[in-house]
Amino acid sequence: MILLEFRNKIIEELLIQRFKSAAGGKPEGVDITVADFDGVLFHVSNPDGDKNRIRISISLKFYNDLQQHGADGYLQSVYGDLMIGDVESSYDISLEVSLENLPSNPDELAKKIALLKRNCFASVFEKYFDVQSKGGEKSTAIVHYREQETMYVSAQKDRVTVIFSTIFTDDDDVIIGKVFMQEFKEGRRGSQTAPQVLFSHAEPPQELEGTDALTGANVGYITFVLFPRHFKDPATREKTINLIHTFRDYLHYHIKCSKAYLHSRMRARTTALLKVLNRARPEVKVTEKKTISGRTFRK
Amino acid sequence: SILSFNSICLVGIDMRISRLHRGGEMSATLKPYLNAVRSSLTAALCVENFESQVVERHNKPEVEVRSSGELLLTPVIVSRNEKEKVLIEGSVNSIRVSIAIKQADEIEKILCKKFMRFMMMRAEHFFILRRKPIQDYDISFLITNFHTEQMYKHKLVDFVIQFMEEIDKEISEMKISLNARARIVAEEFLKNF
Repeated sequence: MILLEFRNKIIEELLIQRFKSAAGGKPEGVDITVADFDGVLFHVSNPDGDKNRIRISISLKFYNDLQQHGADGYLQSVYGDLMIGDVESSYDISLEVSLENLPSNPDELAKKIALLKRNCFASVFEKYFDVQSKGGEKSTAIVHYREQETMYVSAQKDRVTVIFSTIFTDDDDVIIGKVFMQEFKEGRRGSQTAPQVLFSHAEPPQELEGTDALTGANVGYITFVLFPRHFKDPATREKTINLIHTFRDYLHYHIKCSKAYLHSRMRARTTALLKVLNRARPEVKVTEKKTISGRTFRK
Repeated sequence: SILSFNSICLVGIDMRISRLHRGGEMSATLKPYLNAVRSSLTAALCVENFESQVVERHNKPEVEVRSSGELLLTPVIVSRNEKEKVLIEGSVNSIRVSIAIKQADEIEKILCKKFMRFMMMRAEHFFILRRKPIQDYDISFLITNFHTEQMYKHKLVDFVIQFMEEIDKEISEMKISLNARARIVAEEFLKNF
């Protein structure tokens, strides 16, 4: 599995299973809290204990940042009637599904709900893509999607720039991260349609000069330059948003996988060397010997 | 019997000739280097039991204690180039072998560091491995007379030589696999745009 899934698998499967059991006539109760990337929490439960309704709530620490860029409006347009005004306490958005009026294709509905986190992010991107396609410029949107890590989106006349700032907790991670980013930078050789990717270590890129962007040996900045062809057509736009919003998690996931792989290699090599060393020990032969008086002993 | 050596021996002559072809450079200089290390090790591994002169009823590896000069031999460095060398310090009852591994760039540096740390944490399994390397070197072995009494000397030397070869191979393989993985990850991501 190289690419990360952008819909929440747990929510999807949970809902499909519950919809099926409801269709069979026996709705089951549900009360589950699910965590997703970037500190996002989902809570699936029955409001007021009513087994025929399922409420799905999401909590994002940075929802305020997204709200400033029209997240509410976008989510309304996607989920429509599913959204309820009475949001669960300590959560940001709640959707409610009534098991009695399920649509003809409940799996589709489950998939749509599993995309809730992605759709929260999508609002920012959609707004900036639209601004750019009208030829306008827009100031930078700042989303602090993780502690100390931020995403900046800005639109210029001919492109949209998305900049991720990320922290590498370990010094070795910085070097492994650099190897990955080197390949991303050169990715255009492989595929002509790929966006331009730039990487800056320790110093924020020029576009962020003047903001309070972090600096330091463990900080990296990744810039994606998206051209209109990446988001003009709605299908491409959807794909672009799907991939970009999980980029930081994608990178760190693969850094961790590489470290695990290196570790398993080292372990294999160490056992092999140990075998070689043990060949240096002479074999102990057990022989029976006799003394003059006739007692036998083993040596 | 206690032997004595010259202080530094550079295995340079063969290597300068083979510097003509870059591709063959690595393997052409490797053989003479490893042979020089092998013969130096075999000569140094003449260790015998020796009780401590300083503390009653104690038996310490003299190469670590270094308290009495007459028990120590002159150290020998066998170097392939400035970055790759082996330091062999001998004494009456123990020898210390320290290896400096080739680390051409940052990624090789961290791979080497991780690998050496991994092994040194398992030093008790390896018997002859030292938990900390000597200053300026990446990994050290401590071989005492007790080890030579329990294990064949020529096989111990074989082990150290094989160790040196395998480390280099492993580090370059890990680096290649890391680069390959990075390329695949980037390709998978970008081809979807």
